[in-house]
Amino acid sequence: MKHCDCANFLSLDCEKGMCALDKAIVPLDGEGSFACPRFKEGYLCKFCSNFHDPDDHGIGTCTGFEKPEWAYAGCGAFTCEHFVRASELEAVSE
Amino acid sequence: MDEKQARINQILETRGKFRSLDVQAGEGYEDEKFPEPSPRFTKLMDIYYVMKNTIDMEYPYWYNRVWWQNDGDLPEIRRAKAESAALTHMTPTIWPDELLVMNKTKNWRGAFCFPWVDASFFNAQAEALMNEADAPALSESDKMSVVAAGGGNVTKSYGNVVSIAQKFGLRKEEVPVLVKVAKYWDNCSVEVKTQQYSELLPEYKKYKAYRDSVLVMFDSWAIPQGREVMNYYLPLEYGFDRLSELCDEKIDEGLGKVEHGDGLLGMSRGYYYIAMKEIIHGLSQWAENYSKKAAQLASIEKDPRQKSDYEDIQIVMHNIAHKQPQSFREALQLTLLLHFATVNEDPQSGQSIGRLGQILDPFYEKDLREGKITEEEAIELLELYRIKITSIECFASSGVTGGVLSGNTFNNLGVGGLNYEGMSAVTPLEYLIVEAAGRAKTTQPTISVLYDEKLPEDFLLKCARVTKMGFGFPAYMNNQTGMNFMIRHYGEEGMGIEDARAWMLGGCLESSPGCFQPLHYDGKVTWIPGGAGPTAGTGVHFTGLPKLLELVLTNGVDKRTGIKVFEPHGHKLDTFEDLWAAWTEYLHECIEVSLKVNNIQMDVWGKMNPPVVTSLLKPDCFTKGQIETRMGARYMGTHNFESCGTVTFINAMTSLRKNVYDEKKYTLDEMVDAMLHNFGFKTAFETGVFSPDHREATELAPKYEKIFYDCVNAPKFGNADPYADQQMVDYQNHMTPYLYSLQSCYGTDYYMCQISVSTHGPQGAITLADAGGRLAGTTYSDGSVSAAAATDKNGIYAVFESATCYDHSRNQNAQMNVKIHPSAVKGAAGTRKLLDVIRAYMRRGGFHVQFNITSSQTLKAAQAKPEEYRDLMVRVAGFTQYWCEIGKPIQDEVIYRTEYDH
Repeated sequence: MKHCDCANFLSLDCEKGMCALDKAIVPLDGEGSFACPRFKEGYLCKFCSNFHDPDDHGIGTCTGFEKPEWAYAGCGAFTCEHFVRASELEAVSE
Repeated sequence: MDEKQARINQILETRGKFRSLDVQAGEGYEDEKFPEPSPRFTKLMDIYYVMKNTIDMEYPYWYNRVWWQNDGDLPEIRRAKAESAALTHMTPTIWPDELLVMNKTKNWRGAFCFPWVDASFFNAQAEALMNEADAPALSESDKMSVVAAGGGNVTKSYGNVVSIAQKFGLRKEEVPVLVKVAKYWDNCSVEVKTQQYSELLPEYKKYKAYRDSVLVMFDSWAIPQGREVMNYYLPLEYGFDRLSELCDEKIDEGLGKVEHGDGLLGMSRGYYYIAMKEIIHGLSQWAENYSKKAAQLASIEKDPRQKSDYEDIQIVMHNIAHKQPQSFREALQLTLLLHFATVNEDPQSGQSIGRLGQILDPFYEKDLREGKITEEEAIELLELYRIKITSIECFASSGVTGGVLSGNTFNNLGVGGLNYEGMSAVTPLEYLIVEAAGRAKTTQPTISVLYDEKLPEDFLLKCARVTKMGFGFPAYMNNQTGMNFMIRHYGEEGMGIEDARAWMLGGCLESSPGCFQPLHYDGKVTWIPGGAGPTAGTGVHFTGLPKLLELVLTNGVDKRTGIKVFEPHGHKLDTFEDLWAAWTEYLHECIEVSLKVNNIQMDVWGKMNPPVVTSLLKPDCFTKGQIETRMGARYMGTHNFESCGTVTFINAMTSLRKNVYDEKKYTLDEMVDAMLHNFGFKTAFETGVFSPDHREATELAPKYEKIFYDCVNAPKFGNADPYADQQMVDYQNHMTPYLYSLQSCYGTDYYMCQISVSTHGPQGAITLADAGGRLAGTTYSDGSVSAAAATDKNGIYAVFESATCYDHSRNQNAQMNVKIHPSAVKGAAGTRKLLDVIRAYMRRGGFHVQFNITSSQTLKAAQAKPEEYRDLMVRVAGFTQYWCEIGKPIQDEVIYRTEYDH
């Protein structure tokens, strides 16, 4: 996982963001872009149980709303009313 | 403080109920230094300086999704639902040390594309984008615009970042999303539909020729909003919850009901309030999302101070999501939310903040009186506000972003002017706004002083002190001249003296109508000003007057491209009057054809993409129950003709008059031959230098040496020479009545707007040499009444005399740029001298003056080593921009402007 997948990640621009915990600027790519042990899964469509079948470009289907629609893996979901974390759902079912 | 100073302060307090923070008098007074900005500001700016302009797909994705889900609904309701969904699904980002929050997107200098307005740009490049290859050929305007390589611009793709429009970076993984969204709009964007219907015009081929030759370089659909003034009144007065209730009440009483025979218009009222309820919900939820984000950040924060900051943000954002603001900070935050929501509605620039220090003063004064805020805390908030506004970016093609806007978004904040009662409108908060501008070095908001003789002297001196710092602002606009224009132009729509006093600049210099409304707060009623009309920066825009003259001399053919722009005019051009007649015939044809296209563009945009945020905020939309573009706003006569290169044109005409017609030194054929051969010099594109002073001779130079000498030395505008100035008078006398004979899509009269913004760069680039001695490809003159660079030989007061040779209140604006060496205004005496210069111009009726107080030497050094001058700011044409973020042609032109050093 990368910093940008973390719940503590704050977007800055197309090449970097910030860690809300230690306030360090972190790159999106290359060296230094990988998550640290404090990683906590963020709010992105790709982590949602309603997001299915992404293609090579990360474009899949969102079934969280009344009508299924295409969606993309990297879309922010912090404010989505139907975001249900897939990993939590899996944990419950186990 | 000595006794004399104490007495002065006492008198000032008696007069104006406020006191100055820093204006002193007496011996030893040094006014050079403003205090350092707050540590928060410094920390945040350190991050800002390394930020890249970034677009992302969250807003477009959700807009697109919800728009199509509501296929078949009424346009205003469908649009409100789509905008509301987009706002409420964007990731809220809050960075440490912020007190004011929110941005256009999740990124700091974020923006996004609007495929529902313009999809062709992306669809044409879809394959290339998907292959991460270089973009294919751009439009003619795009080719002519050079976006600066420095600062936050992403001019080239790198790594996982794809450059879009030579300015923004987009993550590679979001490219497929962009391409997929854009495809939905391939045949139904505003651009496509306006083109489809424009092409039905019999004259469409002519319009295409104007655009392809870059004689005209702007499409109104590309930025259909902006160049207007925000109005924050309704949410400040009621809060979102009460506004939503008001919508319910209006729906209950008005849906399906017509009144006084207003038929279809009456029927649309009910739908309007349904749409408003949707967008109010979106705005409220958008604020609530930031409250939720602040709560999340507070929950993981270890540092007590930062945790407390997040908790405060959580409360502020929750409160403004529902209720009327109850503090200065809440009110300021609410205005930011409304501003961001408005600039997210359409691609736009020039969304003016308005007279914020008058609007928010009741909130500030109450907090101050009750000990809830100190002056320093208020200044800190205003410094942070400046970062927020400086960070606003606009996505458009590079022809618009670089060529027209120079990357700036023109968020203009006004101070001064007169209040509802006709007295000085300056408030205590406005002193702090100017103070914050002096401390916090940022490009935006630019500040416009509505200069009036009634304004307090200490306030004007404080403004002059900031101007001296070389930021390019405050700029000074003549309040009385502005009011006269308002009444002259909007009188037909019922404007009286009170509303005329509420005027303000939309964008950099687009005088815009306003009105006062009663704010009930702190147990009293305060009449606060705000914008009251739609965009005042659309119409027939950026017509290159020198290019038009060139086309007269080449009988309608653009020699650069070979395009036949006009039919041969058939004039012999054997008298100056005949030359003028030919020029005006071409001008009229160009304007009247372009006007039809513009009317279609604005009408189609208004019908397809009715502006809903704007229609909530602008009076009298909510009262009438009408969308702004359905004649909802109080004043609708805002469309205009916008010229470029006025003084270059005046100088060229004056030279032709003198050298060809009056003194008959040369025949017109000899003059045209010299111009076609660039007087024997290399063109700007051959040399790579766009400044008019750069000349590299070819072997032909000796042949044209004498004619070039006579052209350069012909009388020039800006020297108080009646021979040249009369040409300006004749031009103005022709344009005013002519434009009033033309009508916008709202059935209102046209008028003249005279600002070039940055178009004097690209339009100069496509224009051959002219009879005034300007060489091919070099920039036109800046502004509209500034002398062309280095042609004013008689000092600044001679420039002022020329500039005021006609009544400025007949037009929307008249732009005067002045460059002064810092040594000329040094110290307290220099501040007074600068104010005297401003006052001298205003008293002559000059509408506007702005200053670059910097040396050409510094600018040249910055051009050579931009990395060492990241925070250097210059005034271009009605806006201030970081030096490293403007294109080279404009950099060259600013360096070359005449510099006054005494």
